[in-house]
Amino acid sequence: MSDNEPENEEIRSDGAGIVAPDDETPTWSERKARKTGLSRLTYEYFERARREDQDLRTESDYVERDVLAFPTWPHETVRNLSIASFFVGMILFLSATMPPHIGNPANPSSTPAIILPDWYLYWSFGLLKLNPLNPELAILGGQKLMADRTYGVLANGVVVGFIAIVPFLNKGSARRPVEQPFWSAVGVFGVVFAMTISLLAIKNLMPMNVDLLFDLTFLLPFVFGTITYAILKTMREGYMYNLNRRYYRLRPPK
Amino acid sequence: MADEFIKGLGILTGSGLAWLVLASWYRTSSFESTQQLIEPLSSGATEGLFNIIAVTLMDVFLWFALLGALTFWVLIPAGHQIMSALEERRNAQ
Repeated sequence: MSDNEPENEEIRSDGAGIVAPDDETPTWSERKARKTGLSRLTYEYFERARREDQDLRTESDYVERDVLAFPTWPHETVRNLSIASFFVGMILFLSATMPPHIGNPANPSSTPAIILPDWYLYWSFGLLKLNPLNPELAILGGQKLMADRTYGVLANGVVVGFIAIVPFLNKGSARRPVEQPFWSAVGVFGVVFAMTISLLAIKNLMPMNVDLLFDLTFLLPFVFGTITYAILKTMREGYMYNLNRRYYRLRPPK
Repeated sequence: MADEFIKGLGILTGSGLAWLVLASWYRTSSFESTQQLIEPLSSGATEGLFNIIAVTLMDVFLWFALLGALTFWVLIPAGHQIMSALEERRNAQ
């Protein structure tokens, strides 16, 4: 801010001086309805944001863009650098402070007692351990229709197939979880199931009862999905979702 | 409310990280053990001043992480709720 500007041009934080656009000017009853609390705060916040945006547009060097986003430099770059610095710092910290663990050299002539894939494939490995779910059919005299390993491989197909179907069931037009609580709950279900099935894959290493672990593997995703659905439904009320539907449905211009 | 959440989260993660480092020295026989970080103290953990300080700090960090998160996520919000409920009841009378 230059020195020759008058003092009273400072940005005021009390919301005075905000001007609603002509086609959206609220009526007096609307103003009265959102006089206090969060609704008033929300109103003033968006009015100020809109006004600052309008001031920016009237500046002579303002370039109209067709994409609403932050520029790569400096915003995104500084943000990414800070995140990268955090993780590099965490790696340095842990490697510097924790005791070194140097195991015995691998013996190529003997199979280790515990064989595990890389951690990001634990979920698939866990699906191979669904033996108790493989049904024994009475018509086959208590025999299983297919081997446990075949069943585990088919389970992989079920999971991958469901993930492949999701984009066709839901087009993904929601931009916030509160817009579609059910599909957010489905997402949380999937994330939690990925974690629990990964823990089932290392059941040899889990310090808990294996049967309980197996039950929790399939129970916890439903529990967390239900909690997510309930919370998001409640948050919709807190956001006055029906009142503000127009705002929550806003999309960037094409 | 958001302030109290990030205070509790900061205490839990920061203090928990310090506990993790100390427990990996004093309560971990092997990183392939299923009891790592919660094993009994390793031998020689109470010999020498620095070891005693570190073992004490390990417990301090653990309880600070647990009680700090409990305080900022449960106790303080519950206190606010109680205060506002009492306030409402007083105004209603």
